[in-house]
Amino acid sequence: MPNRSGNVYGLTILSPILDEAKREISHSVAIRNYLAQLPRDERGPFARLSSTHLCRMVVLDDVVFVGYPAREEHLKSSYLVFETNFDGELETYLGRMAREIPELVEATWGHCVGYPGVSDVDGFVAYMKRCQVTTTFYFADVNDKTVQQTLRALQIQSGLATFIERNQGKPAAEIQAAFADFWAAVQSASPLRPGAKGVGVLPCFITDTMSAKGPSFS
Amino acid sequence: MSQTPKTTFSRLDETDIQGFVLRGYTFPVARFLLMEITDGEKCRSFITGVIDGITTGERWDRGKPESTLNIAFTFKGLARLQLPDATLISFPVEFYQGMKARAEVLCDSGRNAPKNWDPIWREEQTHIWLAVYAQSSQILEARCLELAQLIEQSGGVQIAGAQDAAAIVFDGKPSAKEHFGYRDGFGNPDYLGVARDTQPGQGKLMPDGTWAPLATGELLLGYADEAGELPVAPVPHLLANNGTFMVYRKLHQNVKTFRDYLDRMGQLYPGGKEKLASKFIGRWRDGTPVELSPDKPDPTLTADKKRNVNFVYGNDLDGARCPIGGHVRRTNPRDAFGFNGALINRRRISRRGMPYGEYVPEGAPVSDHTEHGIIFMALNASLARQFEFVQQQWVEYGNDAHQGNDKDLLMGNHDGRGRFMIQGTDDPGNPPFMCGGLPNFVELRGGDYFFLPSITALRLIAAGKVDPR
Repeated sequence: MPNRSGNVYGLTILSPILDEAKREISHSVAIRNYLAQLPRDERGPFARLSSTHLCRMVVLDDVVFVGYPAREEHLKSSYLVFETNFDGELETYLGRMAREIPELVEATWGHCVGYPGVSDVDGFVAYMKRCQVTTTFYFADVNDKTVQQTLRALQIQSGLATFIERNQGKPAAEIQAAFADFWAAVQSASPLRPGAKGVGVLPCFITDTMSAKGPSFS
Repeated sequence: MSQTPKTTFSRLDETDIQGFVLRGYTFPVARFLLMEITDGEKCRSFITGVIDGITTGERWDRGKPESTLNIAFTFKGLARLQLPDATLISFPVEFYQGMKARAEVLCDSGRNAPKNWDPIWREEQTHIWLAVYAQSSQILEARCLELAQLIEQSGGVQIAGAQDAAAIVFDGKPSAKEHFGYRDGFGNPDYLGVARDTQPGQGKLMPDGTWAPLATGELLLGYADEAGELPVAPVPHLLANNGTFMVYRKLHQNVKTFRDYLDRMGQLYPGGKEKLASKFIGRWRDGTPVELSPDKPDPTLTADKKRNVNFVYGNDLDGARCPIGGHVRRTNPRDAFGFNGALINRRRISRRGMPYGEYVPEGAPVSDHTEHGIIFMALNASLARQFEFVQQQWVEYGNDAHQGNDKDLLMGNHDGRGRFMIQGTDDPGNPPFMCGGLPNFVELRGGDYFFLPSITALRLIAAGKVDPR
């Protein structure tokens, strides 16, 4: 089914960029300037949209065939290309964009033709859907788990590894008691933010060696 | 996707290829003269003087020579030799940059960072690697003395350092063991056209389960590689053809740390210390592949060339025999990633390592601080696609092997935080087991990237006639 692969929605947006001859810098350049200064780590705006697996924003100037014979095929305008893979439904995600990262939306789509602004969320959702192009390829590195499920799995895997490291070889009763503690820690662990440092580690299961320079065996 | 190249090469011109490229020299001793070029023109005269002594790939049907001589250059070396700019800018960027500048790509940080390297590598003083292997120390000294005189007379090149290496001797015989006690040196690939006593398991896996040589262009410049393309190479083609790139890494081994860790974890591991040691690597310390003999070392298997590199992981995808993150499985995954091994055929390297420093017998007082380790040398047509990929993705990262952030136990830059999972089975003697708090068993002390030219290319360089037009 187009636009959806299992739990993941694949969204491709092509929004025509305004073309005004008399501006000091063009709308395309303004978008590029804004995108260039965005943080790429957990401080990036899309980290706040916690259902995003991967996204990309690109300014597409034109299409040029570089083989032989070289041929220029001009588009009607430059486009803002937005590609994202996320969990859940399209309208929910677009609504979250309008509500949770309005400054990014304004700073980019604000330079696009027909953009209605973010204050009217339904209008923004409708606008984005008009710019939608069918998606048939997806970010490969998602095994049909949501971002939250993936983060949770990493958290448990890392915690379990530490649990095993600390308790392997002990008598069964001790292991069982320790496992009860471990499981309680898993249950009460707070949800993770995407991109956070040490994302897989349960706070109470950070090993001594993780903060030390290294173990000494002397 | 790799395919068998259409063209086959019945035979390479072995007299034009340096012998070090075509075969691993199993000599007991070696010295690597690390040389600085002080005068390009005079250095070219020096090269002219040694060309006839360079050991080529000619077969040793009439017996091994008493010693060998091979030569390679860093980018800075080629620049000092005044190769034309049009040639210099045609080398791949990683070679132009050199290994020090590639530290971030290679995860050479922390203890492995260039600031902790030996001065000769930290200061990038080495322009020429001149390698002498010999049948005995006396022969080595004599050959090096001759070379020292030529170097002295040249006035254009000087020895900035010399690195000795030697096979570790057991019972009076040179062995293939390294300082942690493992037999090393299995599993170098076969290449089309390179004559060799071939062993099943050494090339690439074919759909019918047999093994075939890799395309020549995975090793040598100027030939089709596994993609059916010529490797990226400098111009003119005469300079590149029959040449290759070499990575040289001086890997210090923390023998005390390794032995203490193995002792400590070996007491916890229900299968015992030696079995744990075998799980680390995927081979028992005598070389027996764990995949074929998971419960004990098997000397007959190790000695059997039809079997000792002839195995796959397809029936052990859960790592019950060889852990999924075991060293040999990570660095040569064979069929472990599926697609009949097609994903790994462009990531193979030919290793030419040799230990250095005094071997400390098991049980004897041992320190991390004495000079002992391995001079890791590897040859490939593309440093970036082959060596650097293996180092970054398979040694310093575990995603391809489904081991998350876990690094290679043996080589990883763990800094005390490393982790290695042994998958195991229900068998009480083969349980799942977690090795945590991994320290750096191996530390990088320096090295660089080298171009190992053909004999023809050496003559062009020596004569100052490299012409990129």
